[in-house]
Amino acid sequence: MEQRLATSLIMTVNEKKFIESALLSDIRVDGRRPFDYRTLTITFGSEDGSSEVQLGQTQVIGFVTSQLVQPYIDRPNEGSFAIYTEFSPMADPSFETGRPTEFAIELGRIVDRGLRESRAIDTESLCVIAGKLVWSIRIDLHIIDNGGNLVDAANIAALAALSTFRRPECTFGGEDGQQLIIHPPDVMEPLPLIIHHFPIAVTFGFIGKENIVVIDPTHYEESVIGGSMTATLNTNGDICAIQKAGGDGVPQSVIMQCLRIASVKAADITTKIKNAVESYNTQRSLRKIKRHDPSPVVICGDHDDDVAKHHMERLNLGSDESNDMEIGRKLNENDKMDKRHSIAKGSGGGPASWDPYSRGVDADALRASLGSRVATPPAIYKEESRQVKPNETKSSKQSSLHEVTKIELETSQPKSLKDAVKPKHKRRNKSTSNAFAH
Amino acid sequence: MEVDRADGRTPNQRRPVVCTRGILHRAHGSASWAQGDTKVIAAVYGPKSGTRKNENPEKACIEVIWKPKTGQSGKPEREYEMVMKKTLQSICLLNVHPNTTTSIIIQVVNDDGALLPCAINAACAALVDAGTPLKHLAVAVCCCMSENGQILLDPSKIEEQKVKAFVYLVFPNSIASVLPEGSLRPGGEVTELGILTSVTHGVMAVDDYFSCLKLGRPAAAELSDFLRNSLKLKAGSDPSKAG
Repeated sequence: MEQRLATSLIMTVNEKKFIESALLSDIRVDGRRPFDYRTLTITFGSEDGSSEVQLGQTQVIGFVTSQLVQPYIDRPNEGSFAIYTEFSPMADPSFETGRPTEFAIELGRIVDRGLRESRAIDTESLCVIAGKLVWSIRIDLHIIDNGGNLVDAANIAALAALSTFRRPECTFGGEDGQQLIIHPPDVMEPLPLIIHHFPIAVTFGFIGKENIVVIDPTHYEESVIGGSMTATLNTNGDICAIQKAGGDGVPQSVIMQCLRIASVKAADITTKIKNAVESYNTQRSLRKIKRHDPSPVVICGDHDDDVAKHHMERLNLGSDESNDMEIGRKLNENDKMDKRHSIAKGSGGGPASWDPYSRGVDADALRASLGSRVATPPAIYKEESRQVKPNETKSSKQSSLHEVTKIELETSQPKSLKDAVKPKHKRRNKSTSNAFAH
Repeated sequence: MEVDRADGRTPNQRRPVVCTRGILHRAHGSASWAQGDTKVIAAVYGPKSGTRKNENPEKACIEVIWKPKTGQSGKPEREYEMVMKKTLQSICLLNVHPNTTTSIIIQVVNDDGALLPCAINAACAALVDAGTPLKHLAVAVCCCMSENGQILLDPSKIEEQKVKAFVYLVFPNSIASVLPEGSLRPGGEVTELGILTSVTHGVMAVDDYFSCLKLGRPAAAELSDFLRNSLKLKAGSDPSKAG
């Protein structure tokens, strides 16, 4: 018992009174206005269907996986999906492993209702063989940091993960044409889910007798609020779900005002999710191009400059990379070689936002440093490439990035890592000989 | 004979490592460790009062909770928890806070091979971030032996599934292994304090095991340098940068 008390959030009377009295003058503890959301950041993992959402101090990770199962008897031609929420003990000292608490269950139900009842995910397209095989989608939401307002963050994580998830393509084949073949991702491009609309959950907190309303409460505010309401709606103006379970009574007019505010916020958040998903998709398609293009192509000095500018600072010792961006990884290896550490803005989009000629960087210095480390191999690559693909511009440039950095990785390793292991020195010679062999 | 690895690495090459400390706000200490595509987040809460039932109340207790990416926690997760608990128990100073529990929670974000070493490294960084008193750090690497007898360092998931055997090695990272600035360790020799943990899967000959050790030790020395440098930076620095 004592242990549990010690680990839960205990607020002093002074803190509670401070939050309340500040709200009476329309001031929130973190400086926001009553109807402002905290900063929302959506990032994606390296695999399809994994998202990480940060809403102020709250962090939620979402994973989407799929498997083939038998459909429900009463819905033979519809797929299914299920949401599993994990309140990880790392999010809050009062979260424990084992049975989910009623709050965890409620959160799962709110997110589930928003998606299921409003038919946001098209389940009929998940059917493979009616009555026998359908796709079942599993959404795992892990709350890793409890900074308040877990419902909204978890909902966004679920939507983001669903938007980037790809399920394997399956066709009928075999001798009788009845055998089901599931194609792995490198054979056939996996398919995205069909999502009709985004139901966004917006949470309101009600404090005090004057019915002060705040949106997106932090966990400090959550321990002070008397009641809360979560409205799930989409940009079409449809209310998908409303959850107001107990708490203080609130007049009708306040509820209507909240719903109006919620629709504005929902539009906001939907645009943010869509932008994040779009940039992920462009990066993903760039990655696909790199993988399937084995021949060496044009190496332009300009692109190496962009590469240098686009990287994020990492430690010098030990090779590092940025987690989510494939381009980032290549960039870092280039920069290790240059030993230039500058903080650059993250390169958000793909080729659409990439303007090589806007960066004024010293191309010659870079080319010279490239040349000094790896003497002739780049020259060989250049010659071959000019004959091979003169037309493909952007896609080729991506793969050239890949090729260039591949060489640099092998040769720069002995320089950037203080390797005392002898075989690595041998490797340096072998890599240049490999390059010659190409 | 050089083996062509799928991602173009040489047998002796680790994947790039990214370590970020202080990523969570509620946890007392937190870190994320990514080796290539394998990414793990570790959080530390502690010391909390009281120990669990069968633990010795005269010492601090270490509790590890392993959360897989999807699905329920099953037997493999219990095994990881047990290995990590024993490893971390040997690096923590248990007499400083008797009758307390320090909880380490591991969340797998992506598994692309060498998951347990990644988790141990993340847990170590998180413990430092929480300010837990430690004897020294633990540095984990993974070596595997492919069918043609070649030893590979830091395998990816596909490689781990194809090889005959692989081993997770955890080495202690003590002061003696850090020499004054600027001096290169001759031939990669490190003052030995032994192996903290070794978990093998599959069958390998004794000689192969020793070759794995020989390969793993300098790699661990590099990693421990990286760890020391990244953890040296004060908590006031930007937590989003590596270290």
